[in-house]
Amino acid sequence: MFIKKSMASKVITIDPESGILTAREKMKAAKIRHLPVVDAEDRVVGIITDRDIRSAMPSIIFQDYDSREERDKLAKIKVKDVMTANPICVHPTHTIQDALLLVQSHRLGALPVVDDTGRLKGIIGVRDLLRAFVNVLGIGEPGTLLCILVEDKIGTMKRIVDAITEEGISFGSILVARYWEKGKRAVFPYLLTQNVSRVKKKLADLGFTLLDPLEWYIDQLPTDER
Amino acid sequence: MKKTGYLYEESFLLHETSSWHPEVPERLKVIHQGIEKAGLLPDLVPIKAFRANMRWIETVHDKNYVDRFNDACISGVRVFDCPDNQMCGMTFEIAMLAVGGVLKAADMILKGGIDNAFCAVRPPGHHAERSNAMGFCYFNNVAIAARYFQIQGGMKRVAIIDFDVHHGNGTQHIFDEDPTVFYYSIHQHPSFAYPGTGRDFEQGVGKGVGFTKNSPVLPGQGDDTYRLYLQRDLIPAMEQFKPEMIIVSTGFDAHMDDDMSDIRLTTECFSWIMTHITALAEKHTGGRLLSVLEGGYALQRLGELARNHVTILLNGGIDVH
Repeated sequence: MFIKKSMASKVITIDPESGILTAREKMKAAKIRHLPVVDAEDRVVGIITDRDIRSAMPSIIFQDYDSREERDKLAKIKVKDVMTANPICVHPTHTIQDALLLVQSHRLGALPVVDDTGRLKGIIGVRDLLRAFVNVLGIGEPGTLLCILVEDKIGTMKRIVDAITEEGISFGSILVARYWEKGKRAVFPYLLTQNVSRVKKKLADLGFTLLDPLEWYIDQLPTDER
Repeated sequence: MKKTGYLYEESFLLHETSSWHPEVPERLKVIHQGIEKAGLLPDLVPIKAFRANMRWIETVHDKNYVDRFNDACISGVRVFDCPDNQMCGMTFEIAMLAVGGVLKAADMILKGGIDNAFCAVRPPGHHAERSNAMGFCYFNNVAIAARYFQIQGGMKRVAIIDFDVHHGNGTQHIFDEDPTVFYYSIHQHPSFAYPGTGRDFEQGVGKGVGFTKNSPVLPGQGDDTYRLYLQRDLIPAMEQFKPEMIIVSTGFDAHMDDDMSDIRLTTECFSWIMTHITALAEKHTGGRLLSVLEGGYALQRLGELARNHVTILLNGGIDVH
């Protein structure tokens, strides 16, 4: 679960004194959107994003920013002028969960990863986090998803897992979704088999409610943001 | 009236899974009975299966995989590659025989002895990957047939149309990068059904981009959605690709009475589908078409579904039911 397993450790960086056009070229060449800004000691002093650069440029609708005059003007703008200084960084032993919560609460696209002395060790972006979740969802492997609506009480998962295990079926993952009905949970076992009709009958016989696939959800927008 | 070949061998019943497994010999028995009771057998050209030449299997599967499968089978392994793939001591031989039968049908079509054929085979094939067994499948029957048509018949463009309710991951992956074989599949959406592939953005790889087309269908949908998607996706794709041969992965498990999926097709819709596929063959391949059985587990429905399927083949696309 540690970030050091999921982060990119070969990081393309930039110097705070460099021009933003250099930063733009580096991003274009590597197809990335974030560059950690480091000093001579490799300590993170900032982060610059493709958006920071775009905001510094004149609108392409009115001006040709590739003209000589504009280029000269832009060439004078330094990374340190538009970067976010002292960005939120994480440590290699922070967890994926830490990174997710930070990305969510601060609306970030990527987090530089630094050691105890503030030196750059890697970078972790939203796409790295997504990859980790594709992995835990198990959807890279063939299988079938079920959805069972259960009372939120101790021992329910055991009964589900036991029933499925008795059928000799292995699990790709089990997700539990909250905020369903009050006192209810939606359990999503991802089963590594094509052969689910028997286990579905068995779960129904045990008194479990198998939800109609069209009523499944694992997430919804919080009511106040709708 | 077309000359329609029909492949069925009692030997195909010898591949045993287990008493609670849905892919049981009974499936083939009720399919055969449905065709027999409808009095269709005298109209059909019987196809005799033979053991496939390894050369053809290896146009699709890795040699290592074939050896691994054979070794597992004769050494008494009863679950191969994944828990879904249960087998008996005969499974390897029956799988070889199924491929051989399908190739015999292909050969008869190439030589003009028949126009089209229905191959009632077990084990099924469309989940089988180049080097592993999956989802009740061992050898990818339709993929091997496509290579046979290309190598033996010199065909440049072969289309595979798969209406089994599960996506044919094996077939898609085998021809992912190949612009000479078009793979079309309509199936239950992969977020709700095995095997979890066949999303609409999977359209081929590299040179094969544009030669794979998937129509995922949401659970609970039925005839109307299938009609809409096949007209929207399949028919224009075939107009563009202009296949010289059409192979059909025939699965009956999208039927409303089949509990392997949440798709609810009526028996009549299966006839509608096959009528339209046969019409595509009339238009593009001079009526030549090879249909190979994949899934379908509702024993009480398979007889009528197979009867209608074969009747449509015999009538060259006209549905009399």
